[in-house]
This record gives sequence, C-alpha cells and structure tokens, in this order.
Amino acid sequence: MDPGEEKMTSRSDSYSFKNLTAGYKGKTILHSLSGEISPASVTALIGPNGSGKSTLVKAIGGFLPYQGELKLNGRELRTFSRRELGKMIGIVAQQANVKAAFSVYDVIGFGLLPHQTLLEPPSPEDESVILDAAAKLDISHLLFRPVTELSGGERQRVLLAMILAQDPPVCLLDEPTSAMDPCQALLSFQLMRDLAQSGKTVVVVAHDINAALSCADNYIALSGGSIVSAGAAGNLNEKILGELYNTPFAPYISSRGDKVWHPVLKRC
Amino acid sequence: MMNSPSPAEELQRFIAQRRRRYAELGIVLCALLLLTALWRIAQGEWNIPLSRVFELLSPFLPPQTSELPEALIIRSVRLPRFFAAAGAGGLLAVSGAILQGLLSNPLAEPYTLGIASGAAFGGAIGFFFSGLAVTPMAFAGALGALIVVNMIARHSGGSGANLVLAGVIANAVLSAGVTLLKAIADDKLGAIVLWLMGSFSGASLQGALSVWVGALVVLVPAWFYGPHLDAVSLGEGQGEMLGIDEKQLRLRLLCASSLGVALTVSHFGIIGFVGLVVPHVLRRLTGPSHRPLLVFCFLAGALTLALADGAAQRLGELPAGVVTALAGGPFFCWILVKRK
Repeated sequence: MDPGEEKMTSRSDSYSFKNLTAGYKGKTILHSLSGEISPASVTALIGPNGSGKSTLVKAIGGFLPYQGELKLNGRELRTFSRRELGKMIGIVAQQANVKAAFSVYDVIGFGLLPHQTLLEPPSPEDESVILDAAAKLDISHLLFRPVTELSGGERQRVLLAMILAQDPPVCLLDEPTSAMDPCQALLSFQLMRDLAQSGKTVVVVAHDINAALSCADNYIALSGGSIVSAGAAGNLNEKILGELYNTPFAPYISSRGDKVWHPVLKRC
Repeated sequence: MMNSPSPAEELQRFIAQRRRRYAELGIVLCALLLLTALWRIAQGEWNIPLSRVFELLSPFLPPQTSELPEALIIRSVRLPRFFAAAGAGGLLAVSGAILQGLLSNPLAEPYTLGIASGAAFGGAIGFFFSGLAVTPMAFAGALGALIVVNMIARHSGGSGANLVLAGVIANAVLSAGVTLLKAIADDKLGAIVLWLMGSFSGASLQGALSVWVGALVVLVPAWFYGPHLDAVSLGEGQGEMLGIDEKQLRLRLLCASSLGVALTVSHFGIIGFVGLVVPHVLRRLTGPSHRPLLVFCFLAGALTLALADGAAQRLGELPAGVVTALAGGPFFCWILVKRK
C-alpha cells in the first residue's frame, strides 16, 4: 500500500476502534471491542436483543464516555465538539418519539441546524433541500401535518428525511425501519445503499437480517457486548447466524435468486 | 391530479398562512394589551377621562400640573402598577415556555421546578433578617434550588421527568421552610404573608422597571436560541444529535429564568399558573416554534396578569396570585379535558 493511498483512507469517513469499552454509569455494556467501519459503505449491526448494538451506535455517535481507542477519520472521537459531531454524524435513534407538534416540514428542516448560524434567515435553497428530502422518502403529502399525528412508520420516514437534509458524511441508524411496512422498509434500505454509493458511511442496526443484508456491504455481529463475527455481508452464513441467535437458520433461495434466511423455531 | 398544486406551491401557501396567523395574533394581543392599559390607568376609585389621561401622561407636563393628585395617581400609582403586572406576567409566561421546551415536559414551569419556591424561601430569609437583601437572597434561593434540583435529577438518571420530580420535592421542602419562617417570624409574620401572597398594589416604578429588565434578560437569549430550543423540545436527546450542546443551553437559559423569576418573586411574591397556562394556550394557537411562541407568550402573559391584577383590585384588593390560581386552575383543567 503506498503512502498516498493510506492518506486517502484516513481522510474519508471511517471509524476504527481498539479495546473500546463503554457503557452507562456503573454498567459496562461493550467489552473491549476492536474493529473498523469502512467508509462509503453500509455496515449492518446485527445481534440478539441486549447485545449492545444501540450502545455501540451511541458510543460511535459520541454520546457515551469510553475507554480505549475510538477514532473517526483518525481523530479520537472525544476530542470532537458537539457542533462538529452534528456536522459529521446524523443519527436516527431507536425511539422515534417526537414530543412537540412541529409540522413534518419543520422537523425535516431541523436537519439543517448544524449548518446554520442562529441569526441566519431561511433561504430558498433550504426550502428546496427539505422538499427534496421529503420527496425521496415519499412523505411530500404529509409535509404540513403535525409530526405527532403520524403513524410510527411515517415518523421514521420523517426522521430519515431529516438526516437527508442534514447531509452528514456519517449516518448512524438504529432500527430506522422497525415500524415501517415491508415495502417502505425496503425502499429505506435502498436509500441507504444510495447514500453509501454517494460516499457516505452508513451504519444500520436491523433485526430484519434479509432486508439489511440486501443493502449492506459489511456486517458486525454483536453478542453479549462483544463482536463475535464481522466481515463482508456476502460471507454471512447460517452457521454464524445460528450461533449468534442461538437458533438454527434455514437458507432459502428466492424466486429472484437471492439467498434469504429464516430462523427455525426451536426455543419459542 | 393534473391540477393539484406542486409541493413548492403548497409550501408557499403554508408559509404565507402561518405568517398571516402570526400577524393576526400579534395585532389582537397588542390591541387587547393597549385596551387593558387604558382601562387600568383611567379606571379606579377615581375615574379619569381618557383625554385627561393622555394629557397627564405627556412627558412635557408643566411642573405645577404634575403635582396634581390626579397626575400623581396616574404617573406614580397606576402606571407603575400596570407595568409591574404586565412585565411580571410576560416574564412568568416566557419562563414557563422556556422550561417546558428545554425539558420537553408540559408540566415544567418556575413553580413545578422549585425555582419560585427557592426564590420565596431565599427572599423570606432576607425579609426575616433585614428586609434589605430580599432580591439578592431570592436570586440565591432560586439558583440554589435550581442547582440542587439539577443535581438530584442528574444523579437519578438525568431525564426531564426526573427533573420535574426533583422539583416537586424541592418545592414541598422549601414551602415547608417558608411556613417555618412564618411561624417563627412573629412580628414580621404579616409582612411576609402579604408579600408572598403575590400582589401588585403599591408597586413602585423601581419594581416595575426591575421586572421588565428581568423579562428582557429571559426573553432575549431565549429568542436568540429559539431554533435550538425547538430541536431540544423534540425530546429524546434529538437536540444533541443535531450538534446542540444541550447542557450549555440548559445552563444558560435556566440561569436567566431563575434571575427573572427571582426578580418577580422578590418584588411581588408568588404568582402561580401564568407560567403554566399561557404557554399551553399559545402553543395551540401558534404551534410549537419557539421564536414566535416566546414573543406571543410575553404579550399574552402580560395581558393575562394585567387583567388578573385588575380583577383582583376590583374584588376588593385581593392578592393577584390568588386570582390567577383560582381562575387558572379550572381553566387549565378545561384545556386538558378539551384536548382529549
């Protein structure tokens, strides 16, 4: 590898972590993780409930104190200011609750906050950014409805549209499609694919393994706060899944030739 | 389908509609406030015709006229009283809106968070020992209560709900403290009781001025940080995710609110419900966006408390705090029931 290429890699938006230990007050969740998240790609975080997926998202989003090394673009994450992180990282949290009755248009517009100063008047470009984001998530017809009146899946689409308006190089999405219908969920995963193709680093927590893998380049499998397996999405197989979820997975070939997995009921 | 307007056109219509609603509400509130001002200044035990009121309010009044009793009543009694009630009402409503937004909790207001009882307790101690240091003691009490409440909330998880819970506890303890002071303050009992009941009768120009300064101290920074307050009010740490330092924002705005509330409490005692009810009503009329909401809260809070003070005076010089609580409580229940 020549030095020029290495410089390129460190400048694009990749994460690397070594002996990363993090958690909440008095409770360590992530135990000494080491690994990396490649730039311009979709990385799926998979694992059973309580395995530390959301905690890892919070840690790499800069919300948790941590020990060990956690670098974004080669720079220790704890040295970033909140505002810098707001420009760098867009996050959709697991709980897509919104407590104030802003219109969908306003909520998508909040994505622009990291790029605005407080006394800047709204510009026509901002309006078109918001309209485009809404169109991409097929919520143009909801623009002027209070976000508190929407269904869970619609609200998740609003929050994804907010991330599009925010336009950060890194997107961390924690179960962003959990309340969406299958069609909307697939469209959202397709959108993540497009984001990665346009150079963004996307990390997505998902329980729908088949939908997630349809768009992911890489996966990281967590169990009990440790990485049990990681690599290219194509290398994932029923053996890894079976051990990860402690349940056998059966592979199927769909009519279109893709491989999909379904758990075989054993425990429940 | 062909004729349906494009999203861009709908957006222009939406924005225009919103502007019109703001303009209408602004005009209505200003007009009502002006009418209330005229009522409060012209009417009283001695009714003075409006033309004479305008004459006497002129800054170029000849010295001998300004010595007339009617001029004195208007300029040194009614005018300060109106401005004191209006400024305090605006300040309390704005503080309530800020706290509700910051904590994304509809129950937050200076009273539920213990800020006002902290100010009352501090002020009562000041009263007890001298009667001079009431304002600084009230501010110290408000800030102290705020710090303690914040600490309890942080050590118990740091959520907005915990903050309100800690505030409720602080409120109970501090109110008991005030009662204790009343009990041992024998000779000063009457003064403390009267002060804490919340009244604008005998408001001085200096008191009116200080609540207006307090109102500006609260309103200006909150308006400046309006868009950040919007994002924070979504709850669930959404503000932080958008790169806003929530802790900084909380610290700045909570300190400003404490100072403002302490100024109000130290001069005019405890006036409840304005900070809770006014922002709720306004949010239903204007939407949750803070920049317009804060300005309208100031106007509506000023109007509400000026009217309440007028009613209190008409009912035989009752404390205004009693009127706001008596009218505000049932009104708030009505809003809650109607919303569902």
